[in-house]
Amino acid sequence: MTFFASLAKQPPAVPILVGLWIVVVIGLAILNPNAFSLFTVTTVLQFSTLLALVALGQTMVVLCGGAGIDLSVGGATSLSAVVAVLCVKNGLPGFLVPVICLAIGAMLGAINGVLVTRLRILPLIATLGTFYVYSGLALSLTGGAAQSGVPLWLVPWGRGVVWGIPYPFLTLVIPAYLVAAIVLGSTSWGRWIFALGYNERSARLVGIPVDRVRLIAYTLSGALAGTAALVSLAWLGSGRPNIGNNLELTSLTAAMLGGVNIFGGRGSVAGVLAAVLLLVTFQTALLQLNINSIWQVGMIGALLIAVLLADRFYARGR
Amino acid sequence: MRSSFLGFGARETTLLVACVIAFAVFALWSPYFATSDNLLTILRNSNELLFLSLGMTLLLAMADVDVSVGMTMGLAAISVGYALQGGWQPLAAGLLGPLTGAVLGLVTASVVVLGRIPAIVGTLGLLGVYRAAIFLALGGSWLSGIPDGLTKVLDARPLGIPIAIIVVLIVYGCVWVVLRRTPFGPHLLAIGNSEERARLSGVAVKRTRFATFVVNGILCGIAASFYIATYRNVATTIGGSLALEAIAATALGGTSLTGGRCSLLGTAIGVLLLRLLQNGLLLMGVPSLWQTVVTGGLLLGVLALEVLSGRISLERFNIFARVAP
Repeated sequence: MTFFASLAKQPPAVPILVGLWIVVVIGLAILNPNAFSLFTVTTVLQFSTLLALVALGQTMVVLCGGAGIDLSVGGATSLSAVVAVLCVKNGLPGFLVPVICLAIGAMLGAINGVLVTRLRILPLIATLGTFYVYSGLALSLTGGAAQSGVPLWLVPWGRGVVWGIPYPFLTLVIPAYLVAAIVLGSTSWGRWIFALGYNERSARLVGIPVDRVRLIAYTLSGALAGTAALVSLAWLGSGRPNIGNNLELTSLTAAMLGGVNIFGGRGSVAGVLAAVLLLVTFQTALLQLNINSIWQVGMIGALLIAVLLADRFYARGR
Repeated sequence: MRSSFLGFGARETTLLVACVIAFAVFALWSPYFATSDNLLTILRNSNELLFLSLGMTLLLAMADVDVSVGMTMGLAAISVGYALQGGWQPLAAGLLGPLTGAVLGLVTASVVVLGRIPAIVGTLGLLGVYRAAIFLALGGSWLSGIPDGLTKVLDARPLGIPIAIIVVLIVYGCVWVVLRRTPFGPHLLAIGNSEERARLSGVAVKRTRFATFVVNGILCGIAASFYIATYRNVATTIGGSLALEAIAATALGGTSLTGGRCSLLGTAIGVLLLRLLQNGLLLMGVPSLWQTVVTGGLLLGVLALEVLSGRISLERFNIFARVAP
């Protein structure tokens, strides 16, 4: 399957997502017509950047199957952001911030990978444990306070906008999704990921290095969380120990909404990106209508259950 | 496979030794630690977790899980709190907790078992829904100033034993009898070992899972009544890390996280060890923000040790494998 063929072969989720998205936009237009501006588009894309990066990592982990799930993405994002700022505060040169974010994120992801593939701990339990360790560390290292001291040269990139599109979205999210689509669609690594998610035993029997692919998926998920941390630093200008809160729920919802099968082996990154944009538009609409953010958590949870139930009935009807 | 549910095996011994060592270290460090006042505090702080972990033990024994137990307890606690404020009899209010828990357990069971959604994802979604429901029920502020009717009940000491300990013993005893003397126990373990094989052997898999999720809800409700009796307030953040603590205590207690093995006594000792460590570290001056780090680290450490000592579970992917299409 070539790259373009894989783009054309959309999962059934995408039309539904577009439909839902139009419903949300029309709803917002009726309830608050003043919300429509290029600025709102920029805000949506700005907020999407973090979720899109983290959801891509989550997608990779889930696609690899074996009950793969990464509940620690939020904690990894918070901890990478906090550690990077603390490093700079303690005298490391500022130009190293991107490197530190990525390296810490990748390391945290690799820890998950080792726990799952080498120590054979159930991914759910392993990443639940690391979630608490990472987010707990982010909180206790800072005492819960936002850390200032982000190098100033990062901020113009983090807040810059061209044609209404924020730089981080343009320079990180779009390339990351394109690369992921190409890798999944037309390289042997991509085939391996789908193969071992679809049927692990067969994948092992034909000689796919199952554990190595999974380890890399978890490391990648951590590295993407680290990238999200970098974006948060450049955008907000400070390292917040709670920046990753609820990302595990939201990223999992985005992946499920985007048509990724929870058992692995089925899904596409185009669907995930569409789901991310839908979720963030929804959240922004709630924000514009002055609805408390706790409702977002509730509605995302309900949406997650609804999508899985719909998937069940869809599967039964076929 | 360990067939006894309350057997005193190697794991329980290890845990007890760990408890004794931790106890000795903390007692040497802080003169306040070993006072009867502080030990009673540890026991009191263990109440809710003892019930939540019992439910988690049953779920994990059949390779299911519920990450929304903290929120279930929170919602039940709010119902008890409002009932007390509304002038209900303390005992009636106390019974409302398990009732609300049972209703919430029905909701969870319907979503996970009838909706055939993997337990982890389904309960993660419910966690978000319940958290919003808690916020709605509380109206954005704390529920405080709850009358002390239920607290007075908790203070009662028939035969000199705190009532909480008696209730814990009764509930654990009941569950143990049900597990040992009815087909429910073997069915639970059979499902945990392999749902497919259990189904083929004639076990009513759906009914057993459904019932266990409801029982788990009831146990969360009992925990809620104790929570209200102890603290007499409900914060919007109630129940945040309880699910992890329950899973950690259960894993510490030797219940296999992939199902097929469970130990009630181990779970109880696991809860006590967890609370002992948290209390001791607090007395040593470690900030409470580190508690989640310690709990998470302990969970991972124990699992890693178990694997490194050669007890690798072959059915580690049970939670998902059994509902795969």
